[in-house]
Amino acid sequence: MLALGTLAHVKQMSRSPFEVTIALVVPIVQATLAVYLFRAGAEQHRLLEAAVGAGLMGVWSSVLFGSGGAIQNQRWQGTLEMIMLAPRPPVLVILPITVATGLTGTYALLATLAWGRILYGIRLDFVHPFAFVVAAVVCIVALGMFGLLLASTFVLMRNANALTNTLEYPIWLVSGMLVPMTVLPAWTGPIAAVLPTTWGARALREATTGGPVWPAVGVCLGISLICLALGSVALTYVERRARAAATLALA
Amino acid sequence: MKTLRLMTVGGVIAYRALFNWTRPAIFVGTLLVGPLFQLLFFAYLGRQLQVADDRFYIVGNAVLTATLACVFGGTLAVGNERRYGTLGHVLLSPRSRTAVFLGRALPYAGNGLLIAVVTLSVGATLLGLRIPVAAVPGILLAMAVGSLACAFFGLTLGALGLRFRDVWVISNVAVALLLLLTGVNVPSASLPGWMVSIGQFLPITHAAAAARELAAGHGMAAAAPALGREALVGLGYAILAAVLLKVFETESRRTASLETL
Repeated sequence: MLALGTLAHVKQMSRSPFEVTIALVVPIVQATLAVYLFRAGAEQHRLLEAAVGAGLMGVWSSVLFGSGGAIQNQRWQGTLEMIMLAPRPPVLVILPITVATGLTGTYALLATLAWGRILYGIRLDFVHPFAFVVAAVVCIVALGMFGLLLASTFVLMRNANALTNTLEYPIWLVSGMLVPMTVLPAWTGPIAAVLPTTWGARALREATTGGPVWPAVGVCLGISLICLALGSVALTYVERRARAAATLALA
Repeated sequence: MKTLRLMTVGGVIAYRALFNWTRPAIFVGTLLVGPLFQLLFFAYLGRQLQVADDRFYIVGNAVLTATLACVFGGTLAVGNERRYGTLGHVLLSPRSRTAVFLGRALPYAGNGLLIAVVTLSVGATLLGLRIPVAAVPGILLAMAVGSLACAFFGLTLGALGLRFRDVWVISNVAVALLLLLTGVNVPSASLPGWMVSIGQFLPITHAAAAARELAAGHGMAAAAPALGREALVGLGYAILAAVLLKVFETESRRTASLETL
């Protein structure tokens, strides 16, 4: 059910000109910005790192707006009640949507790498290519589970998509996707430590530049499983609450 | 006088109607907190890469944050009429539609100015940037001109909503391109010539340059040429938006495609 659901939602999103264009074009613009910034800062040797970071930013945007929009879209289409009435735990119905947003977000990662290679001649010399692929897969699944946790809170909110606008830059910043965490204030450290995006970004960076990939992959996976558990509980709770208050379609 | 009333009162009513999220927390989160983190993101990135100083990023990004309300607001001003099926009613109005739509850009410009002021104030406080008190009125003027130019740019994109099906793609891509092409985050000297040339015709480019001059204490005389160019860019987009709205309205009537999504 998870696999078929994910496939169905990936197909649906891949047929949306808006989703595909945003997933392809915006990360490329961000990657171009990162490339020129890193060049201006005489950090030519870190261009691949910048391209990977920009791609991951695109994956996060896809998950964030996808998770916020997933519930809202179902609400607008009048299908939220139907999927919530399905004789399955709500988590099995919503998780495929959020994982699909992560998978659609891989367009962003691939597009930025291809863009960097073709236009700026960035050599795709990953220090640990196999680990990079594994880290990318884990990162995408982890973000999907994090998206589930976000989506569970969005069931109750009428304008969830407005909240998603607020969360894009903070997560980019705190997770160290492009800005090293060492230059951030110390108080951001504990916040970063509990975000799967931080560990996913670290795993991809270590696989790109060399370093211990697997501990970061492990922590990312662990946190994402906690997100899955919390998201599952929260989704069941808010679904019951929305049913009791008869606000599922109106919340 | 009637036209002025139509533009201001009509604009304010449309603005209030479009903001169907009325809870202050969501307004603050979306339009004030989000842009502040955008500023912090680029300021910290700039610090780490040592491309430019804090003033460059804080002032430039503060002016740029107006784009959020202005570009999407301009798009919404036309796009949502179509989406909610009320565009026909607006276009049937016996009053000047040009005045109606141009008036709609004004509240978004005010909103953009509010965002820019809050972002600059909080960003400068958090990152420890001192701005000369004498420069504040000039910076406010630069932000106001930049916001107005950006609102007319947004309205131009919104006008495309009369012709194209998915105007959200255009506005999202436009906002991303403004990050790159306005020279707010990458100094113009580090960008290719063709990107700099495009940037000259975009809103915010000259307003950000003027605000930086003022924040550096160079005075209004140094900032005035850039402010003039920003005003010209804004005027250009206002005319372009009016022309596009007129052309696409005529075309929509002729092909009976007004409400086609």
